[in-house]
Amino acid sequence: MLLSARQVSRSFGSFVALANASLDVGEGEIVGLIGPNGAGKSTFFNCVAGDIPPTTGRIVFSDIDVTRASAATHARLGIGRTFQVPATFEEMSILDNVMVGAFLRHHHRGEARAAAREIIEFTGLKALAESPAKSLGTPGRKRLEIARVLATEPRLLLLDEALAGLTPTEIQEAIALVRRIHAKGVTIVIVEHIMEVILTLAERVLVFNQGLTIASGKPRDVVNDPAVIEAYLGRRHARDPGAHAP
Amino acid sequence: MIFIGILVAGLFVLYPWVIADDFYGRMGADVLLAAIGASAWNILGGYAGQISVGHAVFFGVGAYLPLLAFTHLGLPPVAGVPLAVVISLGVAIVIGLPTFRLHGHYFSMATIAVAELIRIAISNWDYVGAATGLMGPAVSRTWLDLSFRSPIPYYYLFLVVLACLLLLTWHLQRSRMGYYWRAIRAGERPARSLGVPVARYKLYALLLSAAFTSLAGSLYSLMVGFIDPESGFGILRSVEMIIIAALGGAGTLFGPLLGAVILIPLQTTTNSLFGGGGSGLTYILYGGIIVILARFEPGGLLDLARRIAQWWSRRREGVAVRHAA
Amino acid sequence: MTIIQVIVGGLLLGAVYALFSSGLTLIWGMMNVINFAHGEFVMIGMYVAFLIVTYLNGGPLAFGPAAAAFLFLFGIFVYYSLIRHVMRGPMLAQILSTFGLALLLRYLAFWIFTANFKTLPQDLLPGVINVGGILIGVPQFVAGIVAIVLTMGLHLLLTRTAVGSQLLAVAEDRQAAMLMGIRPDRMQAIAWGLSGAGAGIAGALIATFYYISPTVGESLALTAFVVVALGGFGSVPGALAAGLVVGVIQSLSAYLLGPVYKDIIVYGLFVAILWVRPEGLFGKAGA
Repeated sequence: MLLSARQVSRSFGSFVALANASLDVGEGEIVGLIGPNGAGKSTFFNCVAGDIPPTTGRIVFSDIDVTRASAATHARLGIGRTFQVPATFEEMSILDNVMVGAFLRHHHRGEARAAAREIIEFTGLKALAESPAKSLGTPGRKRLEIARVLATEPRLLLLDEALAGLTPTEIQEAIALVRRIHAKGVTIVIVEHIMEVILTLAERVLVFNQGLTIASGKPRDVVNDPAVIEAYLGRRHARDPGAHAP
Repeated sequence: MIFIGILVAGLFVLYPWVIADDFYGRMGADVLLAAIGASAWNILGGYAGQISVGHAVFFGVGAYLPLLAFTHLGLPPVAGVPLAVVISLGVAIVIGLPTFRLHGHYFSMATIAVAELIRIAISNWDYVGAATGLMGPAVSRTWLDLSFRSPIPYYYLFLVVLACLLLLTWHLQRSRMGYYWRAIRAGERPARSLGVPVARYKLYALLLSAAFTSLAGSLYSLMVGFIDPESGFGILRSVEMIIIAALGGAGTLFGPLLGAVILIPLQTTTNSLFGGGGSGLTYILYGGIIVILARFEPGGLLDLARRIAQWWSRRREGVAVRHAA
Repeated sequence: MTIIQVIVGGLLLGAVYALFSSGLTLIWGMMNVINFAHGEFVMIGMYVAFLIVTYLNGGPLAFGPAAAAFLFLFGIFVYYSLIRHVMRGPMLAQILSTFGLALLLRYLAFWIFTANFKTLPQDLLPGVINVGGILIGVPQFVAGIVAIVLTMGLHLLLTRTAVGSQLLAVAEDRQAAMLMGIRPDRMQAIAWGLSGAGAGIAGALIATFYYISPTVGESLALTAFVVVALGGFGSVPGALAAGLVVGVIQSLSAYLLGPVYKDIIVYGLFVAILWVRPEGLFGKAGA
């Protein structure tokens, strides 16, 4: 088990954003997290990424307890993440952006630069390497974020709606990129709205609704699960909401 | 580009010889000294993005210790410089350690609070001169006293220190430290997600900045031979460092020097035009400049120049394309 | 008896600190912006009072509301002309904007009014009150009571009125507020107006028992910083409590250790708060 998150809960004051979510991710898997807006998947995601500490629960990565570890520690241990709203370093060039990531593993400028260039080539950003990040559109920024975090050589990559707002062509390119990253041996957890992406990419899916995980399994099975349909489309019949909790 | 650089460097080296006038020689020394302080502030405020509005606290410590060493121990003022740096680093830790874990505003508020605290304390402490201040050696007893009558030796001393500081800054900003500083300035949350130890690197920037600001203060009291709480720790001292760095271009290597070259002569002119600092017109101007910079050109003159150059080259490309068509 | 008198004096002064600090903490909580010129806003309130007394022969009932109204408009003006733009930019611009404004206002005041201290006539609020053996000057008493009332009023405005809940909504979650049809821009402008008004009245109140000078802004701003840090980021009730505490500590320090120490202790307290309990008494930790 590369990542083991057990009974992770997070409250903000009296508001329970996440309740007892658990997830095991084996090395080399691609796992999807889906659910309606406000369902808790982003909160769960941020707990795993080390951005916010869980109120209760335990998160273990590669046999190391990272429950209360800082985001920087997460990165050093090999957990990388992208942001839902791209947070690139606007005034810095694409190359410099990626170099910041590379400096985690390469302390010298020359090495970091070389590593960054490789990643830039790998992610298809070579032509724009010297341009400032702010000259990119949203798809470019998302791609840059991926390149930047890849430079930190993550073993587990957490993608936060990396494909939202892209055109169909861009989505295909992005899916191809995620596949290439996966082929290099990176384990991937992806939060996504777009069903097509989840069905294509994820081997396993965990469904969130109102802070709880309500279903998990293969994408095809989960998509046909009545509880999941109800979460997305609303209550059709009177039904015990806990019936399909894992 | 390099040719222009060498030319400018040559101008700086030859300036006192060419001008050969005490007034302008002194102004040159003032420009360089201001550039040192502003460049030191720039490491923390320009590159790492942590805005200190009380940086005079380090300057004041640096200015007082040498004159204390002279007044109470009869030592050449230079002897006080190392201890000044140590104390400045201590003050830096007291300010930075708790606040760098918090949002940036806490740090800025803390800098001004500590600067004021120390200024008031010093103003009422007789041992360090209270409100009257301290003086240095009127005449050099040995060459170590560094009390020269002409501004020229100071000019060259300051030039060497500035060159060292800029060289160090240049080296750092292209290293891992520099990239991490710029990442912190651009976005702390994404920086953290990439493994940047944000609080620690902010502290590094602060320590470096504090040490060199302290040195600037020491150089000041070496040349001027006098310090008091206002000139050492006063808000106007902090303002000067900030406005010079920001006007030229915070976060650039030569921005502070450019700012000094523009503002110090300007300050001398407005001070004599408006009859001394008493009426405060100079500071109305400074306040106005800072507000305008913040509102319209936070990148300063160098950033403005770069954008103009880009616009110009794009325009020429456009013309070339049109001619080709 | 005298210690109690010092404490009461401190509480009354502290109430005034609470009044102008509550505006500062409101803005900080809503927009994550610290107004470094806040002390100068108070100073302007003092001069408005002075001008009205000197040239229009107005009394406290005239210059109090006048200072509030003038600074309310001025706060809105500063928001629209400066703050709104720099909020979206780098930290350097945000901090320099109000810092530069402070400098500008301070030295404009020097130029217009000169450095000479001014005072309001002593007969505006004459006399001394004797409450159970404790002697309190009438101006200080009035100032303290008015300040407490107004600060609590601000708190009620925020928690009990429609405008107030809109302001708090923007502070809580800008995006959500926008989705609910609230215009954050307008709310933030109002917050700046309220903050200015609070500072203006506080200035007018202080002017009745303290000297007026262009330099008062610096120490008042720092006092406000201590109060908002102690009271907690964004908390108006916190600012009220913290203001009272700071007022008492300041007065006790001056009485027990000497007038020089009043500021030293308060600024030292600030550093101590940062080390020990940065979230203050009531606040959520600054993000």
